[in-house]
Amino acid sequence: MISRRILIIAGIVLILFLGMYTWNQRTRALDTLASTVGLEVTGAVLASMRAVQDGVTAFWNRYFDLVNVREENEHLKARLKEMDAKILAVREAQEELKRLRALVQLPLDESWRSFAARVLSGRMGPNAALDSVTINRGYATGARPGTPLVTQQGLVGRVFRASPHTATALLVTDPASRIAVFTQQGRALGILFGQGAGKTLEVNFVRRDAKITRGEILITAGLDGKFPKGIPVGLVVNVSPSDYTQFISIEAKPIVDLQNLEEVLLLEATGLAHSVTEPDDPPPIFVGPPAPHAAAP
Amino acid sequence: MNFVRNLVWWLFFIATAVCMQTLAPSLDVFVVGIFILLQERDYKNMFWLLPLFVLLQEGMGTRLFGGVIVWYAAVIIFFKIGQWLFEVKNFLFVFLLSSCLIAPYYAINWLMALLQNLAFSPRDTLDRALIQALFLPFAWISFALTRHLTMQADGSGQQ
Repeated sequence: MISRRILIIAGIVLILFLGMYTWNQRTRALDTLASTVGLEVTGAVLASMRAVQDGVTAFWNRYFDLVNVREENEHLKARLKEMDAKILAVREAQEELKRLRALVQLPLDESWRSFAARVLSGRMGPNAALDSVTINRGYATGARPGTPLVTQQGLVGRVFRASPHTATALLVTDPASRIAVFTQQGRALGILFGQGAGKTLEVNFVRRDAKITRGEILITAGLDGKFPKGIPVGLVVNVSPSDYTQFISIEAKPIVDLQNLEEVLLLEATGLAHSVTEPDDPPPIFVGPPAPHAAAP
Repeated sequence: MNFVRNLVWWLFFIATAVCMQTLAPSLDVFVVGIFILLQERDYKNMFWLLPLFVLLQEGMGTRLFGGVIVWYAAVIIFFKIGQWLFEVKNFLFVFLLSSCLIAPYYAINWLMALLQNLAFSPRDTLDRALIQALFLPFAWISFALTRHLTMQADGSGQQ
């Protein structure tokens, strides 16, 4: 009698759970609630923890860890002078690039703007099945689902789930990640697949006659509009022609060190379309870049 | 006073658990809270803490809502089965219970990956289940000790 009652209760609970599960899969109502409450609380706790950690580290660095500071300071001053000189050179090159772009009518890509976010933690909790990181920006502060994440080295991933002030981002190494990429030199198009944390990436659907060398950089193709074009994603480590398909098999490693991420940049679409149409007017006659300011009368 | 101490301890537990979960991927520290609630038969606090634990875990995770409910249901069922056979407030019981929880941890991960069409790595899942099983008894000792000290500090601890 008791066992029958237990079975009936277990059956009812199972039906209720499956009902809730399918209803949530359709409406995502519980996922939204969990993201808003759970992720927000987690973000608040972790942000406080990081603030305390920063405070303690700064205190330690400022007052206790002063060994070799004088030598380091002198070395850094020398480096600063060197960097100032390099910045001047780069600024000149940048100005030249602007002028050349204007000459060939290539508009600057203003369709994305970037802002910084801090990585609060890696994958957290028993429900974290995907290879992901938690960042300190949410949909109210620019990290809407789908927003690309980059560092100065290259692509990190995209925002997967967001609460108002905290978000979870899917990394390029996750097996659910798919990104259209080009090889930088050969311009061969392929689809980049993640294979899990700490594993290499795989590029599929690259035509057999494509010329790809080891060490070549893979960049985002930007064809889907989800990622800006030209961001480095991976480095080719192995190329092998497949005997069974019409494609070649490429292995790559992520260009960004995803195990030690601290800060990332979020790229938000500005809504300004990147011009791809043919210009109405004929291109201007090439007359060379204008003379540098110093040389101008 | 005891109510305030209890509330403060649980808030401390939640904050510490969130921070500790950053140490290893897929680690669940909130299970220790469920152990403590069940050991103390504190169903009044369980009424609000359990949904909060579920919301926190589901919120910081990346799977669809539901997996954590099944996982915590398994924890409670295994605890109740163990309760018939053992004294629940000792290290050996917690160690045995966490070892037994390897099986539901693995099964739930496999089931959820299957239901949500996610990649499933048997070896990674087993590693995580073992880390969880090794971590739980020591985390339980630490938290139980702080709870004992907090609740007994003014001689009016929870019985």
